[in-house]
Amino acid sequence: MLISCPYCGPRDVSEFTYQGDATRTRPDPASADAAAWHEYVYERSNEAGPHREFWQHAGGCRAHVVVIRNTVTHEISSVAPARGDRI
Amino acid sequence: MVEQMSPLGDAYVPGSHGNFADGTGVKISLPQPGSIVEATAWPGREAALAGAIERVTGLSLPHHPGGGVVTGDRSGFGIGPRKWLLTDAAEGLAETLRDALGIENGTVTDLSHGRTAIRLEGERAEWVLAKFFALDFSSDAFPVGSGRATMHHDILAQIQRTGPSRFNLYVFRTFARSFWRVLCHGAEEVGYEVR
Amino acid sequence: MSPRRTAAGGRIDRARTIRFTFDGKPMTGHLGDTLASALLAGGVTLVGRSFKYHRPRGVFAAGVDEPCALVTVIDGQAREPNVPATQIEIFDGLVVESQNRFPSLGFDLGAVNGLFGGLFSAGFYYKTFMGPVVGPLKGTRFWMLCEWFIRRAAGLGRAGDAKDAARYEKMNAFCDVLVVGSGPAGLMAAKAAAASGKRVMLAEQEPLFGGAARWSGETIDDAPAERWADEAVAELAGLDNVRLLPRTTVWGIYDGNTIAALERVTDHKASRARGEPRHRHWSIRAGKVVLATGALERPLVFPGNDRPGVMLARAAGRYAAEYGVLPGGRIAVFTNNDSAYRAAAALHRAGATIAAIVDVRAQVSAAASKLARETGAEHLTGHAVVDTAGRQRLRQITIRRFDAASGALSGAARRVEADCLAVSGGWSPAIHLASQAGAAARWDERLQAFLPPEPTGGWVGAGSFTGAFTTQEAIAQGLAAGAAAVGATPAASKPPQAGGPDLDVTPAPVFEIRAKGKAFVDLQHDVTAEDVRLAHREGFVSVEHLKRYTTLGMATDQGKTSNVPGLAIMADAAGRTIPQVGTTRFRPPYSAVSLGSLAAERHGELRPERLTPMHDWHIERGARMLAAGLWFRPQIYGQPGETVEQAYAREAAAVRAGVGIVDVSTLGKIAVQGPDAAAFLDRVYTNVFSSLPVNKARYGLMLREDGLAFDDGTTWRLGEHEFLMTTTTANAGKVMQHLEYFLDVVWPDLRVNLTSVTDQWAGAAVAGPKARDVLAACVARTGVDNEMLPFMGIVRGEIDGIPVTICRLSFSGELAYEVYCGAGHGLAMWEALMEAGKPFGIVPYGLEALGTLRIEKGHVTGSEIDGRTTARDLHLGWMLSKKKPFIGSAMMDREGLASPERLQLVGLVSLDNRAIANGAHIVEGKQPPDDPHGSIGHVTANCFSPALGRYVALALVKGGTSRHGTRAHISDPLRGRFGPVEIVSHHMFDPEGSRMHG
Repeated sequence: MLISCPYCGPRDVSEFTYQGDATRTRPDPASADAAAWHEYVYERSNEAGPHREFWQHAGGCRAHVVVIRNTVTHEISSVAPARGDRI
Repeated sequence: MVEQMSPLGDAYVPGSHGNFADGTGVKISLPQPGSIVEATAWPGREAALAGAIERVTGLSLPHHPGGGVVTGDRSGFGIGPRKWLLTDAAEGLAETLRDALGIENGTVTDLSHGRTAIRLEGERAEWVLAKFFALDFSSDAFPVGSGRATMHHDILAQIQRTGPSRFNLYVFRTFARSFWRVLCHGAEEVGYEVR
Repeated sequence: MSPRRTAAGGRIDRARTIRFTFDGKPMTGHLGDTLASALLAGGVTLVGRSFKYHRPRGVFAAGVDEPCALVTVIDGQAREPNVPATQIEIFDGLVVESQNRFPSLGFDLGAVNGLFGGLFSAGFYYKTFMGPVVGPLKGTRFWMLCEWFIRRAAGLGRAGDAKDAARYEKMNAFCDVLVVGSGPAGLMAAKAAAASGKRVMLAEQEPLFGGAARWSGETIDDAPAERWADEAVAELAGLDNVRLLPRTTVWGIYDGNTIAALERVTDHKASRARGEPRHRHWSIRAGKVVLATGALERPLVFPGNDRPGVMLARAAGRYAAEYGVLPGGRIAVFTNNDSAYRAAAALHRAGATIAAIVDVRAQVSAAASKLARETGAEHLTGHAVVDTAGRQRLRQITIRRFDAASGALSGAARRVEADCLAVSGGWSPAIHLASQAGAAARWDERLQAFLPPEPTGGWVGAGSFTGAFTTQEAIAQGLAAGAAAVGATPAASKPPQAGGPDLDVTPAPVFEIRAKGKAFVDLQHDVTAEDVRLAHREGFVSVEHLKRYTTLGMATDQGKTSNVPGLAIMADAAGRTIPQVGTTRFRPPYSAVSLGSLAAERHGELRPERLTPMHDWHIERGARMLAAGLWFRPQIYGQPGETVEQAYAREAAAVRAGVGIVDVSTLGKIAVQGPDAAAFLDRVYTNVFSSLPVNKARYGLMLREDGLAFDDGTTWRLGEHEFLMTTTTANAGKVMQHLEYFLDVVWPDLRVNLTSVTDQWAGAAVAGPKARDVLAACVARTGVDNEMLPFMGIVRGEIDGIPVTICRLSFSGELAYEVYCGAGHGLAMWEALMEAGKPFGIVPYGLEALGTLRIEKGHVTGSEIDGRTTARDLHLGWMLSKKKPFIGSAMMDREGLASPERLQLVGLVSLDNRAIANGAHIVEGKQPPDDPHGSIGHVTANCFSPALGRYVALALVKGGTSRHGTRAHISDPLRGRFGPVEIVSHHMFDPEGSRMHG
């Protein structure tokens, strides 16, 4: 599988580290809402189809990217810098 | 200043090695620049960093990903978003650049001891590098001056093309001996000279 | 020259004799021969014994599809088993052995298996060796006992256990177009693509390019096809933008058009040049792939179809045309399509007598009839071969009238003398790579074959791969595919013109001749047509189940000749059509791949390793090194006659009594810089760092989001906006990624930069009551007294002109300092410290002593921060700030994490004066428990404590603190250790910490 790093270009998946589901929202750090934290830390929908996820180009520029990957076909339809700033 | 010791130990064996039936395919050497520095700009402060680098080193760095230049004793290339690797034959670049940049624009980290530069040059340099790295080393895809960050197994390598058939590789110092060994091993096929 | 050799023609050089050894017997062949062609030329027909029944087998194919003629290649001490003889190019000194025979190939005891055919029918493993339900040999154990015998009786070649001295390498390549296969279609595609100037690679699994052009006997542009191919290859070889890869099998196609290929660089050579790899694993990223992989011929299934001498018609034709070898003197042909007539013609031209051409079809094309007449063979249409005879080679075939529509046999049996039977059951396009790349194959009723799915965008197909079986079609499709692959339109000029008989390879839909006797579908795994029907009768309706139950197509040839006939027989048994039954998806590899090429340089001495700047010093001082991840660290600096325990006890005692030095360069070190660095550390550590003054260090603890402990270490404030974080050696990479994640994803507004500086700094910890004296003796430009350098203070100075940063902190519980300098000065600094320490009796110590010192003090490491413990479990609750949120703060107080019944850190003291085993369980009973649930905890670290004069350990024990002062037992049934211990506080030595503050 190739991931097109916005900075480095297409690279083999072995250069990347999976860094988790990118659809969740981290609760307010000061919040003690147990349900919200539980949801954030543990609940995953395990989509069959396009899935938003974080990958880090650990074996390259080390930036985190948001990848939309089809979990059924492995097709990657989008890769964008996780920070949102230009590169 | 006390001289830095090479990390290679007994893995460094000057001379010609391998199969040079067709001549020496590559030369491998340890340039040991006095300064290896990583400089990072805060978002929006890239121009300030580029300005500081130019003032201190005279290097005018292109802004596109992986862009870089080589001039005489100095070199620089992009290794990540808002991040550059700079070298100077002389020591002390980190301090000078840090003062010129200011923390409001970004950071400067001295890696003069932490990274080891390995130079590979010669007709078969692209062939030997392709044994280790899944990078397109053709000069169209990887022009002179530009750099790439990639890895060989666990070893992160930042690679700059410094000439049509010359490359500088920067690896973590503690991996340098191990990487040097595999590099030499891979170069045996084309014949190599260590100096 | 051998009587089987033709006088001229083919790719062999008759002037060059090659000597090799087969089963110890010297043999000869010619340059250009494969082992198979050389054996056939030498009259060897019996090459191996079959997998289950030990039936005699010979050469069946001429290429990668060979199911029978598998041999072991001996290279010095190394053995490579199961190599098809058709894939071995002979060279002087080649040594091969036949397989699966005992005591010899000609006389094989295992052949008695053939008498017990019923025993070895489909699923026999599952049925026969279930074993009794109770007793010492129940279930799996019985199976394992039987397996021991079965493995010796049935099977393939024996792998060697000697180290393979050959070199294997990986290679990465990038191109715009990769063409797989170099028949007329592949060559045209490569030429068309190369004309654009883009980068083209052409991979051919055989030694010579040209594919069918090498043996078809056709002409292309009025020249013999093989000459046309040679010219095309020469032209391609002259282009800078083309790379030719002969002997290279493309075996896998992966996402993103990443292609895996195996180049056999030196298998055809008697010796390797220095540095030359035997195999090269190519990882190719191609813009487009042109699949011109051709088609594989299928055999027909009939009784006795495995006898040596029976072979695929194409193979027989190839041996004659390409290798100048006649696979027999009197050859019969058996076919359901026209292609075998071409082989008959080639064999006839080469000098063989064609005894008969047996065709299941009642009517054949005019071109085929003409070829049949030219061979002078008896042409028996509407007939079928129903049996064969001969002991170790074919002698005779039996023929009956056959109705292709009903499959019915009729009339009297006729016998025809023949020593070779060339068989064709139609053609299966080699769609493996396309199948790997995506959708399911499509069944074509006319061609009776699975065709490739619609291209997925990454590849285009050409030639017989697509089901276009004529050379003219292959040329046209190759041109179109090559042009399409580079986004061009094909050149308008007239394409090369092929000349040859107008044969129709559309087969009659006949796969099996049902008559009495064993008819093999999968020749390598000895699966018969009856096995397939038996599986169906036993309820295996899915093709996937059929495959696993009968092992059809699961041998090393992956069913290249057997898949489609097997499916056809199953469909027939089920009363369904072949597309209704469906086929399995092909998986990589297309053909066998050497494990060496996959491991390549990542083994043995070429494994990546990390060495500290003081590594060579440790080695010179006789340190025994320990691998810790990729790092190598001194375990002990043993003295002659010392055991490991004696050595570390001596080293640890020396630290407590005087002073010791340990290499701590492996600790993870991260430069944390920026205006928001302090705020960032407050968020990632459980305790506060923003209040830490410049030039002070603080011990910090990190949790994961779920509230469990993650990592610990000290972080030094080197400036207002600059910190140096240290992590445990093992967790350095993980901590870095954890922090980078939070900066990139969660808090992108923080102006903080992280850089790994683990390699920038060499570190030495100097510990013991005399540590300060040692530093005072060598450190210049700063004082190191308690005033200048209090506990957790940081100073900068020089040792022998080397700039150093010193922090006073302690892992050992003694007065201790960590001294850091640039890694390139590490050895010089270390030697200066050793020199300065000499008058104080300084002792270098290794990991074992380091561990001993920390166990005595109850300091935690990764053994205790194991991903299951909380800060409170480890008595680090005092580090959990209540003033600020931090990673993990929201979840760390969950009910389950606060239970008093959790495992808590305690110390253990051995009461029987024996070592406490790591990983041992702690139990309350006084006898070794039968009940495995009786555990109340486990040992995480143990040592002999010289300070306490006892064997001690750290352990995690249920409600541990409440058990202080009580007795329990450690239980380690694996190592047979059971013994009494006392549970004590984890602070076993100097609990007040007075020593390190001294």
